[in-house]
Amino acid sequence: MSDTLDLLEAIGGNAALRHASAEELAKTLAEAGASDALLAAVTAGDNAKLAEELGLRPMQVNHDSHTGGHEDDDETPDHGDGGEEPSQPSPPAQGGPSHS
Amino acid sequence: MTTPSLSPPTLPARGNLACIGLGMTLGSHLTPLARNHIEQADVVFAALAHGATEKWLQRMHPDVRSLQPYYGEGKSRQKTYREWVELMLAEVRAGKRVCGVFYGHPCIFAWSPRNAVRIARAEGYDAYMEPGISAEDCLYADLCIDPGQYGCQHFEASQLLFYERRIDPSGYLVLWQVAMVGDWSLTRFETGPAYRQVLVDVLAQDYPLDHEVIVYRAATLPIEQPRIRRVALRDLPATRLTGEDTVVVPPAHALKPNLAIRQRLEALDKHAAFT
Repeated sequence: MSDTLDLLEAIGGNAALRHASAEELAKTLAEAGASDALLAAVTAGDNAKLAEELGLRPMQVNHDSHTGGHEDDDETPDHGDGGEEPSQPSPPAQGGPSHS
Repeated sequence: MTTPSLSPPTLPARGNLACIGLGMTLGSHLTPLARNHIEQADVVFAALAHGATEKWLQRMHPDVRSLQPYYGEGKSRQKTYREWVELMLAEVRAGKRVCGVFYGHPCIFAWSPRNAVRIARAEGYDAYMEPGISAEDCLYADLCIDPGQYGCQHFEASQLLFYERRIDPSGYLVLWQVAMVGDWSLTRFETGPAYRQVLVDVLAQDYPLDHEVIVYRAATLPIEQPRIRRVALRDLPATRLTGEDTVVVPPAHALKPNLAIRQRLEALDKHAAFT
């Protein structure tokens, strides 16, 4: 059985494979000895088996807090040349959302 | 054409930092220079969007340290991002060549790399930022949008609610992190329909409720296609969104000619023709 990550990297770097139909890609991968999990992901869009095969866990994708909100700092915008704290807007004094 | 083999200059051992973008799609977007930063590093830190890309990165370097475990349910992301900066800088200060690998572009919606590079430079270390193909880049390509055609505003969705901003509905509007719109606490990764309804109410001041908006997600694995959903603005609260989704609001009005400025420019043209 071919290595799944090697196959994914090969697909990502090959124009014909990257834009092939699911049927065409599945045929090529089957001939290359792809795992059942990778074939299921290609043909049925089912990534669950692929995640199991590779031992993947869900990941957080947001790597920033709210942009702006600099009133907590020195009221200067981020010009990239000064200190910058992760910005968190000041909540309203009353009537605002809960901060539990 | 072959690439000549060049020997880099021999420099005294000193810590440095490179924050690079891995791009969005595994195997498709990593630049040669970014890849070389990974390969030349002593230690690599990773903040990626998919486990497969993290596994792929581990093939490129024997010491890849995931930053994902520093997130925590109920833990402020402010704390997490500061921890990321300190982790990277501690290794730089210890004399290591450090590479921080972030999905997409390391300057876009990523607080830690900007601040790690800034602090490293302030402390006298060499620090570099290498761009990567971002979700914004993929969005333009997959939706065939030219931001120069009508103009294009970008807002972090919560910022649009927390502040009084001016939307130009004759251009494109791109809203990021809509899944967590309205979260004051920085501890949640999703809010919900009621929060998105507030966003819709704000947008409804400039757009009709039947205006079609696009919910977009770039492909992370090369076996995937970009996910593009079109819904009416009024239906956005009921539309399932995750952190990967970005909302694009196409123009609602034609560009309005500025007649006064046009006349002024014509007068300049006439004047220039006679001089």
